[in-house]
Amino acid sequence: MPVFKLCLKIFKKNIPVMMIYFGLFIAVSIMMITMSTPTDQTGFSVSKARVAFFSEENTPLVEGLKTSLAENADFIDIEDDQEILQDSLYYRKINYVLRIPQNFTADFMTGADPKVIKTSIPGSTSNVYVDLKIESYLNTARMYLDLIPGISQEKIKSQVLSDMAEETEVEMLRRDSSGSETGLMQYFFNYLAYTFMFIIIMGVSVIMLVFNDPIIKQRNSCSPFSTTKINLQIFLSILLFTFFSWIVLAGLSLTFAIDEIPNFNTKYYVLNSLIFALTSSALSYLIASLVKGREAMIAIANVVTLGSSFISGVFIPQDLLSEGVLKIASFLPTYWFVRGNRMISMLMEKSGPVFDEMVSSMLIQLGFAFGFFILTMIVSKKKRSV
Amino acid sequence: MFYHIFKYRLKVLLRSKEMIFWTLLFPIALSIFFNLAFSGLRNQDSFNIINIAFVDNANDPNFSEAINSVSEGEDRIFNMIRTDLENAEKLLENDEISGIIVSDENITLTVNSSGINQSIIKSFIDQYKQVTSTATRILSQNPQAAADLPAEIATRISYTKSDPMGKSELDIVLNYFYALIAMTCFYGGFFGVEEINQIQANLSKRAARVNVAPIHKLKSFIYSLSASALIQLIEITVFLTFLIFVLGVKFGENMGLVILTTFIGSLTGISFGSFIGAVVKGNENTKTGVLIGVTMIGSFLSGMMFGEMKYIVQTNAPILSYLNPINLLGDAFYSLYIYDTYNRYYTNIAGLLVFTIIFSISTYLIIRRRKYASI
Repeated sequence: MPVFKLCLKIFKKNIPVMMIYFGLFIAVSIMMITMSTPTDQTGFSVSKARVAFFSEENTPLVEGLKTSLAENADFIDIEDDQEILQDSLYYRKINYVLRIPQNFTADFMTGADPKVIKTSIPGSTSNVYVDLKIESYLNTARMYLDLIPGISQEKIKSQVLSDMAEETEVEMLRRDSSGSETGLMQYFFNYLAYTFMFIIIMGVSVIMLVFNDPIIKQRNSCSPFSTTKINLQIFLSILLFTFFSWIVLAGLSLTFAIDEIPNFNTKYYVLNSLIFALTSSALSYLIASLVKGREAMIAIANVVTLGSSFISGVFIPQDLLSEGVLKIASFLPTYWFVRGNRMISMLMEKSGPVFDEMVSSMLIQLGFAFGFFILTMIVSKKKRSV
Repeated sequence: MFYHIFKYRLKVLLRSKEMIFWTLLFPIALSIFFNLAFSGLRNQDSFNIINIAFVDNANDPNFSEAINSVSEGEDRIFNMIRTDLENAEKLLENDEISGIIVSDENITLTVNSSGINQSIIKSFIDQYKQVTSTATRILSQNPQAAADLPAEIATRISYTKSDPMGKSELDIVLNYFYALIAMTCFYGGFFGVEEINQIQANLSKRAARVNVAPIHKLKSFIYSLSASALIQLIEITVFLTFLIFVLGVKFGENMGLVILTTFIGSLTGISFGSFIGAVVKGNENTKTGVLIGVTMIGSFLSGMMFGEMKYIVQTNAPILSYLNPINLLGDAFYSLYIYDTYNRYYTNIAGLLVFTIIFSISTYLIIRRRKYASI
């Protein structure tokens, strides 16, 4: 099989370039590992806002406020510098800056109009959350002050705090069982979509650029090999390349999430990625037959892979994308791959609506693969007649 | 002579589709993807009215009133539906509501998961219970207060005053776009690499020809470089216009300084490209590779792929954020948008100018007076 052998030679020559993309995938995945904090929850826990607390006075009333706020807030130790605070607010390292001005307590006790000064992210949930707590503490304190003549500050503090100890019982309706949903494997396989598509488009184009060169094409046409045979061997080598990349990348994904391999859904992740590999190779076959020139190829590969990854939820979870964007994305196989992975992460048994959704996501990907293949056939037929 | 070289360089560069793609179309494409993908990120922590179900078995008018008061009007916290338990659980299961408040003898909350919305619902119920406890306590200590108590409970005084910091809202998505413009300015380095290729006799045949022409090398280099600079400045203006008017990216009020910053950034980018072209040995592909690689690492560190990165670098290795010209440029836009003062902005611009000067002088020293025994 001389054509097949030639293709392998071309691939071998391009190994260094491909290594860069494998490296990229590894780098991104390692970043993911270090960033992710697995949320392991069994019961209800109260959310905490990150608050920078600065007080210019230290009175029992203010102490009480801080104590009651501690239930809903983590106090962040930070330098009181305008620039640092602004940066920290921008990057959401803190959600709320609370300042107790001097004479706040005195004003409060005498019924003047005391205010604590807050700086928060306008319109944010944490803003509403912290406000609720502060207002509640101070309003309760005010009731004691107004209605019990001569009450001391200490007494207000202790009574308000003991009132606020009253807590509501919270029940969890659906216990989020199995750690798999919060597992990392889903993300590693999602990231694979980006690297995979890029590598395969580049790999396939490397071969096709050589064979589509007019002079080489003419030379090949007069060889004693039928076109079908040549195409078949090229196709075989592309499949081999796809399969090889799939083994490397899926293997890496599995290694990164090695603790989760024994889970029930691992095999579906692997299957889904194999289907995506097929779809990507069909897509790259189509692109390679449409685009001429190496530079244009790199440009297209970048735009197609980055674009589809961005809007299909590879980099940013699908939950955070708007409905309109997802609608556009549903015309791309990447969307269905990511969706399939999400279904798999929720999968608990071999039947039921989640399982059906997963299967349909996979079938749609195969549909795309078939569609791309047909399109390639039509395109190359048209090209030949010109 | 200037006009001649300038004109033909301009024509050559404009015909290079690849160049125009990387320096203009690719950034535009990326910005569109950013805009599509990050719109959700922008709303992630903004407060949306919380949907709850209320199952009222106890018919407690006080609680009913309390919950109504926060579920009505413009600044309400809840969208409340009164329903029976069965229906409420169905809604909760479909994630249509965040929690169910059940009022029996005791008031309880049922949720699906822990989260800030759920915590807010809990805080609200806690508060209601606390008021009851407060009222009982007050009455036991001062029975005469009974007459004033209802009015006191009904009064809610706001004790917080907002002191917004800086002049802008803290839109976390903007930094991605700022880093992207910085990247685009540095992609202008493609022009720099190309210009070096066209002037160093060992790099291209055209350069060998130009070197034997009776024109001062520095002059011809500067003439053709100005053609590159012109294209880059036009491109960056187009990109900026696109960001502002099509995608609605905000830059603060000082438009003049924003434009100045992009221009300075473009010049730093081009000089950076020439520097790479002069320093890196090897063919054009290697040089472009190094250019893209360095730009990508710089953009990554200034938060283009992952917004928090810029903050991590800034707090853990501040020196690195000054040594990264892409971060200086991105940070210049950020400071213009966020801060009231210009100190940090001027520091950034000064840093960029220093980099530009270093790149230009090194390039000059490397490319001047090259002699070739054979090419």
